[in-house]
Amino acid sequence: MHLRIDDIAKAWGGHTVLDSVSFNAGESDFVCLLGPSGCGKTTLLRIVAGLTAPDRGRVVLDGRDITTLPARDRRMGLVFQSYSLFPDMTAAANIGYPMRVRGEAAASIPAQAAAWLERVGLGSLGERFPDQLSGGQQQRVALARALAANPSMLLLDEPLSALDPSIRGQLRGEIRALQRSLGIPTIMVTHDQDEALAMADTIVCMNQGRIEQIGSPRCLYERPRTRFVAAFIGHANLLSTGLVRDALPAFLERRPPGRDETYDLCLRPEDLLVDADPRGEGVIEDITFLGNVARADIAWRGRRLLAELPGRSPLVRGEAVSIDAVRGAWVGA
Amino acid sequence: MGGRVSSVAVPRAVARPRFGAVLLLALPVLGLLLFFVHPLLTVLWRSVTDAQGALTLANYARLFDDPGLPRAAVHSVAIGLATTLTTLAFGLCLAMALHRSHMPGKRLVRAALLLPMLAPSLVLGLGLVCLLGRNGLLHRLTGIPTDIYGFWGLLLANTLYGLPQVVMIVSAALERTPARHYDAAASMGATPWRQFVDVTMPRLRFALLAAAFLVFTETLTDFGSAVVVGGSYRVLAMEIYSKVVGQLDFAMGATLGVVLLVPALFSVWLGRLARRRQDNGDASPGRALVPSRHAMRDKLLGIVSIAAVLPIVAVVGTVAYVSFVKLWPYNRTLTLANYTGGMPDGFGPVATSLWVSLLAAVVGVVMVFALSAGLRRAPPALARPLQVLAAFPAAVPGMVLGLGYVLTFNHGALSAWFYGSAAIVAACSLYHYHAQAFLTMQTGMRQVPDALEDAVASFGGDTRHVLRDAVLPFAMPALVSSFFYLFMRSMVTLSGVIFLVTPDLGLASVAVMRLDENGFLAQAAAYAMCVVVAGALALAAMRFLLHVLKDRRHVA
Repeated sequence: MHLRIDDIAKAWGGHTVLDSVSFNAGESDFVCLLGPSGCGKTTLLRIVAGLTAPDRGRVVLDGRDITTLPARDRRMGLVFQSYSLFPDMTAAANIGYPMRVRGEAAASIPAQAAAWLERVGLGSLGERFPDQLSGGQQQRVALARALAANPSMLLLDEPLSALDPSIRGQLRGEIRALQRSLGIPTIMVTHDQDEALAMADTIVCMNQGRIEQIGSPRCLYERPRTRFVAAFIGHANLLSTGLVRDALPAFLERRPPGRDETYDLCLRPEDLLVDADPRGEGVIEDITFLGNVARADIAWRGRRLLAELPGRSPLVRGEAVSIDAVRGAWVGA
Repeated sequence: MGGRVSSVAVPRAVARPRFGAVLLLALPVLGLLLFFVHPLLTVLWRSVTDAQGALTLANYARLFDDPGLPRAAVHSVAIGLATTLTTLAFGLCLAMALHRSHMPGKRLVRAALLLPMLAPSLVLGLGLVCLLGRNGLLHRLTGIPTDIYGFWGLLLANTLYGLPQVVMIVSAALERTPARHYDAAASMGATPWRQFVDVTMPRLRFALLAAAFLVFTETLTDFGSAVVVGGSYRVLAMEIYSKVVGQLDFAMGATLGVVLLVPALFSVWLGRLARRRQDNGDASPGRALVPSRHAMRDKLLGIVSIAAVLPIVAVVGTVAYVSFVKLWPYNRTLTLANYTGGMPDGFGPVATSLWVSLLAAVVGVVMVFALSAGLRRAPPALARPLQVLAAFPAAVPGMVLGLGYVLTFNHGALSAWFYGSAAIVAACSLYHYHAQAFLTMQTGMRQVPDALEDAVASFGGDTRHVLRDAVLPFAMPALVSSFFYLFMRSMVTLSGVIFLVTPDLGLASVAVMRLDENGFLAQAAAYAMCVVVAGALALAAMRFLLHVLKDRRHVA
């Protein structure tokens, strides 16, 4: 299975939601569409699902143009944020639903539904109705239902957003394991960067209807290309070129050519080297002990830096420090 | 709960099957055009043409030839304003008593408030006449001369009729005010009175406004009370009736209809504006409000409640009593004769009313369901005008619609079997009450999660599957409510169908009016009680069904 999104554009009432969006998702890839509210990621997912028609561009699955194919003929498994189970059907009936709609032999459906229930760890709960299941259990049923019809792709629209944080973490792992074992190409929409970093093979980071950067979680974290990506994924200390020239001139070597305003240097909090130094230009404004790490707010050259230090750091509030960095990445607009 | 909702509010899917939407919309829209728009336009057209069909404004000029007509207009407005004032005052007190006091007997008050909704408006008039008329019970028992006909009788009848609706609208707004607002006010030292002024009233503004416009429109266009207790205090609805039925002057009837339509339209429009600005309360209502103890307040509200509810019980009780009396008011021996054989046409009119109401409710619920389901999937450019059209009948007085039916269907292709049939009466009732049934259904449809519909579509389901598996489970309570609403309204309506009944097609509400006109009050009361009982049974059936649905429904 190979999905190609080719130059997709969509506007609602004059407001551009998607603007020339293109990317690929390969065999058994787990792709996360990551971005803030209103960046167009859900609309893009709905276009892939066939629930919304794009104004321009193509959706190509295995070489076949499916842009105008109705949702019901695409065989894609969808999981929504919440409230997508049939309230008056049991968990087992919900899972059997796509098979029934597609006209599979009625006799084989209960056994298949039971097998899926087992697979998502709900073996004994098949006769429960959705309102008798917890949020996490409901989403497991929704996941089983999406997969039960043997879809060509799995599409997840913020499937964990409505759940409690503890269950969210657990389900992350389960979804990822299930997806790996089935080898099914998957696209997940999320606004939660931790979720994207933890689950995705590839992150498509979106902002205002455009793709900012595509890459592995590690690539996006360590080598963000734009200020948006740097700030949206993890915390970024962004330093202007002028400041770098004065304070950390060593980093100028790797700077791409261009005017001063074009690029900023992104320093991750854990990349800062902070040392006690009575003549240093930084002052610890606040330091929070978090166990294995300590997070320090540092006033430095008229601005603030966030630094992550080892938990046992002896630095205290008000102490003067010198600042350096082990690595950094230049980011553009 | 963790997590934000990331999707922005974008219009709903476009790639869903359009064919299904068109199919769903076609029939109900055709019905609206044929049985609502067409008759309405006929009335308008008739008012601006002469006997030869040439355009003219002469009909409107004639309005001033008869000094009775401008006077009737003044009367209508006067009674409308007076009724609105009294109804709002009592309605507000009743709602406060029910929701913000420790007054005992709330259940009784609620039950009493149901009575006016179960009966045609003329039943309240009938009860008033039997109780306070020149030969009424009070006069008979005490010898005090009483005369209820005229302004005061109308005011009383219309107030009793409008009261439950005002209480309902205001109660809904009170229920939406979260307890924490009162907690906050109290913690800042606000007295109960200040809390009422600063927390309660601001949230009631738009509810009161909406209620005011509703009562004003209803009073302005009501025919039932006017015909029974109006007496020589003539209002516009009476004038239309006598022009059409008495003088067969259809052109004048149509012209008066348009005159009545204009303020009704304006009032409904303002009412809708008010409702749109209504505060919908907080997403999470939080802790339920428990009113504090306040003996003085409870006593005052209790007295007002009794003053408001007692007349309702007395009036309906009088009708019930009179229905068991041998020859009102001269021989008050109790008898069952009025039910077992005294009613001139037996139970025929009641059966016809039931049949017509059932027809209106069954067809109506299918129509509004199809329309609401179709609108969910229609592009906004189509959906908005259709929504306005479907809610428009609320602004059209029943008499105007009924007159439109006479003018439209007494000739032409449909007239042979349709005119004078139960179907035309059912159609008129259905489209007279279309707006409320449609709005109820649409509110119910909003409960259907979009994700569920999308899920069905993505699993390979078509429109049939979407309706059955995603929409119906959520819309079922609205379906039940709409059905019984249409049924109960059709049972009691008089103004819409008064021009449509024939000697062969008697309706219970019309029978009450005719018998009352001819002085057979006991028989009229018996028919009235049949309607009240049928309405009460229907209401009980609805509550039972909704209860069962609530138990059986598994909605996450």
